[in-house]
Amino acid sequence: MAKMMIPLGPQHPALEEPESFSLLLDGERIAAATVALGYNHRGMEKACESRTYIQDIYLLERICGICSHSHSSSYVQAVEAIAGIEIPKRAAYLRTLIGELERVHSHLLWLGIAGHEIGFQTLFMFVWRDRELVMDLLERLTGNRVNYGMNTIGGVRRDIDSTQTEEVLKALDILEARTSYYIKVCTEEQSIIGRLAGVGKLPREDALRLGAVGPVLRASGVRRDMRKDDPYDAYSELDFNVITDDHADVLGRTVVRVFEIMESYKICRQVVRNMPDGPIAVKVPAKIPTGEAFSRYEAPRGEDIHYVRSNGTDRPERVKVRAPTLANLASITNMIEGGYLADVPIVIAAIDPCFSCTDRMIRVQDSRSGREDRYDWAGLRQYSIDWYKKRGVDLSQTKAAWKD
Amino acid sequence: MEQANAIVARLEERFPALVGGANIANERRIFWSVPLTSLMDILRYCNDELSFTQLCTITGLDNGEMFEFLYHISRDDGIVLTLKVKTPRDGGVVPSVVPIYNGAIFYELELEGLLGVEVEGLPDDRQYPLPDNWPKGQYPLRKDWKPNAETPPLPNP
Amino acid sequence: MALSLINILIFPGFLFLSTLALAFEYVDRKLCARMQNRVGPPWYQPIADFIKLMSKETVIPTEANPSIFKSIPIFALAATASAFLYIPIWGQRSLYPFDCDLLVVLYFLTVPTLTFFLAGWFSSSLYAEIGSIRAMTQLFAYEVPLYMALLGPALLAGSWSISAITAFYHQNPLLSLLNLPGLCVAIIAAQGKLERAPFDIPDAETEIVGGTFTEYSGRYLGLFRMAVDSEMVALAALISAIFFPALLPANPVLGLLVFLIKVLVVVFILAVIKTAFARFRIDQMVTFCWKILAPVSLLQIVIDIIAKGVILS
Repeated sequence: MAKMMIPLGPQHPALEEPESFSLLLDGERIAAATVALGYNHRGMEKACESRTYIQDIYLLERICGICSHSHSSSYVQAVEAIAGIEIPKRAAYLRTLIGELERVHSHLLWLGIAGHEIGFQTLFMFVWRDRELVMDLLERLTGNRVNYGMNTIGGVRRDIDSTQTEEVLKALDILEARTSYYIKVCTEEQSIIGRLAGVGKLPREDALRLGAVGPVLRASGVRRDMRKDDPYDAYSELDFNVITDDHADVLGRTVVRVFEIMESYKICRQVVRNMPDGPIAVKVPAKIPTGEAFSRYEAPRGEDIHYVRSNGTDRPERVKVRAPTLANLASITNMIEGGYLADVPIVIAAIDPCFSCTDRMIRVQDSRSGREDRYDWAGLRQYSIDWYKKRGVDLSQTKAAWKD
Repeated sequence: MEQANAIVARLEERFPALVGGANIANERRIFWSVPLTSLMDILRYCNDELSFTQLCTITGLDNGEMFEFLYHISRDDGIVLTLKVKTPRDGGVVPSVVPIYNGAIFYELELEGLLGVEVEGLPDDRQYPLPDNWPKGQYPLRKDWKPNAETPPLPNP
Repeated sequence: MALSLINILIFPGFLFLSTLALAFEYVDRKLCARMQNRVGPPWYQPIADFIKLMSKETVIPTEANPSIFKSIPIFALAATASAFLYIPIWGQRSLYPFDCDLLVVLYFLTVPTLTFFLAGWFSSSLYAEIGSIRAMTQLFAYEVPLYMALLGPALLAGSWSISAITAFYHQNPLLSLLNLPGLCVAIIAAQGKLERAPFDIPDAETEIVGGTFTEYSGRYLGLFRMAVDSEMVALAALISAIFFPALLPANPVLGLLVFLIKVLVVVFILAVIKTAFARFRIDQMVTFCWKILAPVSLLQIVIDIIAKGVILS
């Protein structure tokens, strides 16, 4: 059979966000792969320059719906470093708590997606059911399920009381029991191991050479975790392990993530138990003195980097964001090439991709007639009325449920 | 702090021209303005001898007069060394660091796409992150670029 | 003549099969949903889906040959409906039994897979082509074990007629215990034939979107789905006729009830398999079929030949 080029994306059931992979297929095997990105570029870095420091927190929080706390934390850390502010201890603990719950939610989400990618719907359904627990918990603590709005420059915006603490501990117990079961499933169930082991290999040297980060790097046997190496928030006072694995494949990445969830539970318990009393924020002037800062945060997907430069006004001169996925993308073609087409979705999913990137209008043009097929609401309604009229059903008198 | 001072001392010993330029912001953050011509040598030295094996990212910025490029490199103990170089806004060229840090392709494509600087030796001509039909000569991260309604509509791909 | 027409078109022929197909699609979906801790669809969901698909606009790719594109689903449905006529539903006798009907049924049941291949190949879409190739590869993997697993019991019964096989095991119910390995092979191979998880490789959505059916929409997709559902009923009926010969009351109403329960059991097992495993990769599937299923089905034949020798002597 001749080699053929198949597109995976920008719209494809395996991808949650638009990105495009072109795969040169030799039978069932991938001979070559290229990545095209930028379908989601929204110009946020530019937008940050025209907003105040406070407004930027909320903008940057919306880079990603899953690591929202990571991006805002990384950003406020940088701004606080420029302004020379020390945040209150209680604020540091609260940030840690939300950060770890976010990690649990992100990793559980990932595990469900992994199940879906390998055609294991049951795992997807179960894990996503239990993920609701941590989502509800986050909602109780912050008022929101995804974009928490917890961070502010100089601390956090909400405190938690003793009833909320109780709820956290209660939910953690259930989650821990469920997670231990998933760990058993992922490490013992043969049909899962059959699909994950040996797939998407990234040897240690390649991972380091290509600058992989987060669970992908740790699954290749490298102990690198910003919470240990470059501690922020309350991490220097907490006891936890950095999970590494030597499989250097998708199975390793799964193992690292599921065990990291367990470590997160451990961290959450310590945080709740040792939460110091005191204020949750300090006052920070709206104008930040001239300076620059580079901040790193261990997001669920890896190292999230923000660089902020200020110019003495209430708006930053430059905000640079490097999401962890961008670092991992350099190695993705290495992982795909030589593997099976069937493994491409799980290999892509295994870096836990998150593509934060310009909104643009899409035109659909008929390649033969050159006619543009783009419908607005009224046009689409008229089209459907005509379509049914041709078949003997008159719907033109039916009231539209929604007027534009 | 000792670690950071030691790194600064070793770099100053190897590259005497750099003496006095280092700004140690805190124990794990060093910022250093270096001449563009010696950037590759310094990066190579840092990678080979000082174990700065990871390139965190490259920040490109327009300070109104010059383009600045910040190479953030880090090592396992959490120390991040930021090397700053400057190029003129018109016809600025920076060397590609891909031979040293293989994973830098997307960071450099971003510099080309958003700031419109030429990265010499970049083994890739993909458009990133702007769409393929983005008008030529429009670089959104330049300070004089403003998003406005008169921006010509995107041509069909 | 009129009675034959009623038999073929209404009961126990086409209409009955279609009703059963939709009913068992509901059972299958509901079982999977409950096993996955979901609520699952209401009982009328498969009918609603079918009516909706029938009334939808049909898009045919400009590159595809319209007549082939449109006729393929009808072939698929016709093949399964014909196969169903030769499977005993109540009692020991099918509607029109003849001497080698087991082989005919097996060939009829291969036709849907071939139509899936043609459907994918003639829709000239990349994903559909890959899906077709996978469907064919898979066919060669499960078909041989499935045939051998069904032929073993036939050897022991000494007949190629499904009705005669059922009658034989009805008289010697204990002998059907010898066919357990064959039953396991048949159920697993049936899962492959029906392209259900973990063998849903030809239409694995996360890899190749809709697989063989990527370009199909509207009523043609509806017909295909109906064909797949009827194939499930026909296969389950075939398996229960050959492997579960006990309890065949003479009363047609009771007989029908027993038949439904047996098919339900097979569908239940199929649903459990669907929820319990991750999708196999094509190479894993082929290896599994040839290294495990094929030897077990050979073992089945050996068991039946030895048993036949013992009984005869």
